[in-house]
Amino acid sequence: MPFISRIQRQSDYSLFPPSTPIVIDNGASYFRIGWAGETEPRVIFRNIVQRPRHKTTGETVTIVGDHDPTLLKYFDCTRSGPRSAFESNVVYQFEIMEYVLDFAFDRLGANESQIDHPILITECVCNPVYSRGKMAELLFETYGVPSIAYGVDAAFSYKYNQQHGVCAKDGLAICPGFTTTHVIPFINGEPVYKGCCRTNIGGFHITDYMKQLLSLKYPHHMARFTWEKVEDLKMEHCYIAQDYGSEAQLFQKGLKEAEEKTRCWQLPWTPPPTEEPPSEEELARKAAIKEKQSQRLREMAEAKRSSRINELENELNGLEFLLRQLEQVQEGDIPSFLSETGYVSKQEIESALMKVTQSLRKTKGEPKGDQAEIEEKNDPITSEKFPLIDIPDNMLTAEQLKEKRKQLFLKTTSEGRQRAKQKRHEEELERERRNQEDEVKRLENPELYVEQLQVKYKELCEKVEQRKRLKTNGGPTNGNNISGGVGRGERLSATQRERMRLLTTAAFDRGKGEDTFGAKDEDWQLYKLMSKDNDDEDEGPNEDESELARLSSRLQEVDPTFVPKLDIGTSQSTEVPRLRPLTKEDFQIVFGVERFRCPEILFRPNWIGIDQAGLDEMAGVSIRRLPSHDQELESRLTSSIFVTGGSCLFPGINERLEAGIRMIRPCGSPIKVVKALDPILDAWRGASAYAASSQFFTQTFSKMDYYEKGEDWLRGYELRYTL
Amino acid sequence: MEPEVIEAELVLPTHLSFKRVQMYEKYPKGQSRGRHWKHLRQIIQAENYQNFPPDEPNYVNIESPPSMHPCKKICDITGYEAPYSDPRTNLRYANAEVFKLIRSLPNEYVQRYLAQRNAAVVLK
Repeated sequence: MPFISRIQRQSDYSLFPPSTPIVIDNGASYFRIGWAGETEPRVIFRNIVQRPRHKTTGETVTIVGDHDPTLLKYFDCTRSGPRSAFESNVVYQFEIMEYVLDFAFDRLGANESQIDHPILITECVCNPVYSRGKMAELLFETYGVPSIAYGVDAAFSYKYNQQHGVCAKDGLAICPGFTTTHVIPFINGEPVYKGCCRTNIGGFHITDYMKQLLSLKYPHHMARFTWEKVEDLKMEHCYIAQDYGSEAQLFQKGLKEAEEKTRCWQLPWTPPPTEEPPSEEELARKAAIKEKQSQRLREMAEAKRSSRINELENELNGLEFLLRQLEQVQEGDIPSFLSETGYVSKQEIESALMKVTQSLRKTKGEPKGDQAEIEEKNDPITSEKFPLIDIPDNMLTAEQLKEKRKQLFLKTTSEGRQRAKQKRHEEELERERRNQEDEVKRLENPELYVEQLQVKYKELCEKVEQRKRLKTNGGPTNGNNISGGVGRGERLSATQRERMRLLTTAAFDRGKGEDTFGAKDEDWQLYKLMSKDNDDEDEGPNEDESELARLSSRLQEVDPTFVPKLDIGTSQSTEVPRLRPLTKEDFQIVFGVERFRCPEILFRPNWIGIDQAGLDEMAGVSIRRLPSHDQELESRLTSSIFVTGGSCLFPGINERLEAGIRMIRPCGSPIKVVKALDPILDAWRGASAYAASSQFFTQTFSKMDYYEKGEDWLRGYELRYTL
Repeated sequence: MEPEVIEAELVLPTHLSFKRVQMYEKYPKGQSRGRHWKHLRQIIQAENYQNFPPDEPNYVNIESPPSMHPCKKICDITGYEAPYSDPRTNLRYANAEVFKLIRSLPNEYVQRYLAQRNAAVVLK
C-alpha cells in the first residue's frame, strides 16, 4: 500500500498540556490525527469501520481502520462490509464516526476521564449545518472537548504551501479528493467560497471504474480485483494522457510505443504437469499386454465356437438317426414312436433338421450369401421357378390360383431387386468414369485441378448451406441469424410461416361483405395448402449433397491438407472456443488503455454518467463565479494554480491541467500550475501549523457558544485562515 | 479471542475511559435499533437552502454546472474513440472487431457495460 497506516498507540498523551490542540484531518478515505505544531500526524488509518462476528465466540465486534488481512480470518466478514461515515464528502452516520473517534483517541493514548484539548477538525466546503452540529454535539457531549474549530482541508493545504512559497496569496486551489473535487479561489490568502465549485467525482470513482472495467475484461479473475488491490494498481500504473484521443490512437494502431506503455500483471500460475511421451519399452510392454488379452479373447471365442459346432453336429446326427429309424417304422405307429422324443410329425423333425444344418453352417463360418447367389443365378429362368404364371387362370384349380398369386408377387419383388441392383451398378460405373476423367485432368495439371476442385467444393458448400438456412430460418433476408436474434418469426421456416400467414388471413377474412368462399373450386385448394402435411420436406440427401460428399472425398484423396467442413450451415459453431490447456497468458492482466482511461474521468465525468464539468473546466467556472470580474485578479489567480488532494498524484496532471485551462482562458493569460509539496499530508500539516499559532483560540467555539448562539450562528461560522 | 488478535488490539474496546458516555450506555441492546441517521439527500432537504439568498454559497449551489465541452464518445469496451454506436445494445464501439464482440456478449454484460456510464436499463 502506498499509504501505510500508522496505528501504534502513542504513550506521550499525558505530556501535552490541556492547551495543546488536537488536529484531525477527517478525510473521506483516510483519518489523520496528531498534535498541533508537529509536522507529522501521530495516527493514520482508513476511515472505515467493520462490525464482523467473531467466528468462535460469535460476538459482534467493532474493527476500525484497515488491519493486517491475515488477522481478519478469525472473523466472519460476510455479513457486513467496511462502512464509512461519509456520504459523498459529508459525515452523515455519526454512530460510525463515534467508533472512528474512539479508536483515534485511544491510539493517540488518551487515558483521562475526558478529552481535555481543543480540537481542530476538517470538514468539506459548505458543510451542511446538520452535520456540523451533530459533530459538535458528539465532541462536546461524549468526549467532553472544551472547544472546537472547523476548517477546510484544501484551504489548510493551500496555506501551508503558501507559507513555503509554492503558491501566491491569490490563486486557485484544485483539490481532487476521494469522493469529490473542489476548486476554491483564494484572494488575499482567504478562500472565497462564492467562487468555489464542486464536482462529485474523485479517487473512489476512478478505482471503481477500473475495478468494473477489469472485471468485465477478465471475468475469470474477478475475485482477484479486490478494492485494495485495484487501489494499488491505480496508484502504481495510472497516468493522465496529454491528449486522450491521440494516446488511444497509439494503442489502437498497436504501435511499439503503446507496447512499451502496456503493463502486465502476472497472476500466480503453475503450468500443468506436462505428460511425457511414453518410452519405447513402455509402448512395447503395453502392446504385448494388449496382444495377450486379445489372444485370450480369440481363444475363448474359438473354444466356444468349436463346442457349439460339436453340439450342433450331435443334434444333427441325432435327428438324422431319428429320421432313419422313422423310415423303418410303420405309418400308423409314428405318433406313438415319436411321443418319447417330443416331436409330433416327420415334417417337424425335418424342419428342425433344416434349422440345425443352417445354424451349423453359420457357426462354421461358411458364406451366408450362397443361397441368395444361387437364387439370383436362377433368376433368368423365371419360367421354371414360377411355372404357374404363364398359365391362364381358367385352367387352374382354386389351390393353384392361390399359388399363382404368390408366385406373381415373388416375381415382381425379385424383378424390382434386380432393377435396383442394376441401377446401383450403373451409378458405380458412372462415378468410376467421372473419377477417371478427373484423374486424367489431374494428371494434366495437378495444381489447377485442385484449385478448381476447391472452388467447386466451396460453391457447393454455400449452396447447401443456403438451402439449410432457408429450411430452418426463413429467407436469406435475415442473414443475421448468426448474432442469435430470436424473434418469433425467426424460429419458423419459410413454409411454416406461409402456413401461419394463410391461417391468420383465413381467420380474419370473415365478416367482410359477402362470404363467397367455396363458390369456386380453387377456394378449396386453400385447405390443402394449410394442412400440416404440406410442409413435409425432402429429408433425403439431394443431388447437391451427394455431389458435395463426392467432392470432399476426392479432395481428401488429392489434397492432404484439406479438412472438410463438418457442420455445414452452423457457421457460429466454428467460433466457439475449443477447450485448450490454460497458458501463462490466461493469467495475465494487461493494462493498456485502462492506464489513462480511468483517471481521464476526472476531466470527463460524463464518461461515468456524472453530468458535471471536469477539472479543467471547473477552474473556468470558478473564476466566472467570482463577484468581481477584474482582469488583473483573474490573471493573478491563473498564475498560481495549486493542485492538492489524493487524486492529483497521477503523473501528467499538471501539464494536462495547464493545457486545459489555457484553452478556456483568453489568449496570452499567464498560467502556472503547481503541485503541493505533499498532496496527501499537507492538509494536516497546514492545520497543525494553524492550530499551533497563538491566535488559534480566537477561532474556536466552546460548548457554551454552541448552545447559546444556536444553529444560525453555526451556519455562518467561518474560520479565518490568515491569523 | 486468539492471542495475535489481542496482541494487535484489533478489536475496539467497549469501555473507554476518556468517554463521558459509553457506547453501551447509548445503545444498551448492542447495535442501535432502526435508522436514526439521515441520508445526505434528507440532510440537504432539511437545510432549507431556498430560504437563504441565492448568492450565499451552500452545499448545493457550489456544485459544478454541466460540461460545456462536446462529449468525446469512447468505445465502451476498448476505450478507443468510438465513431459508431450499436442500435441494438446501445453500446458504442470503435471498429468491426469490437462490433463482433459486442454482438456476442450476453445481455448481462451489455447492461454492465452500459451501467458504467449510467445508461443501463433500470427496472423500477
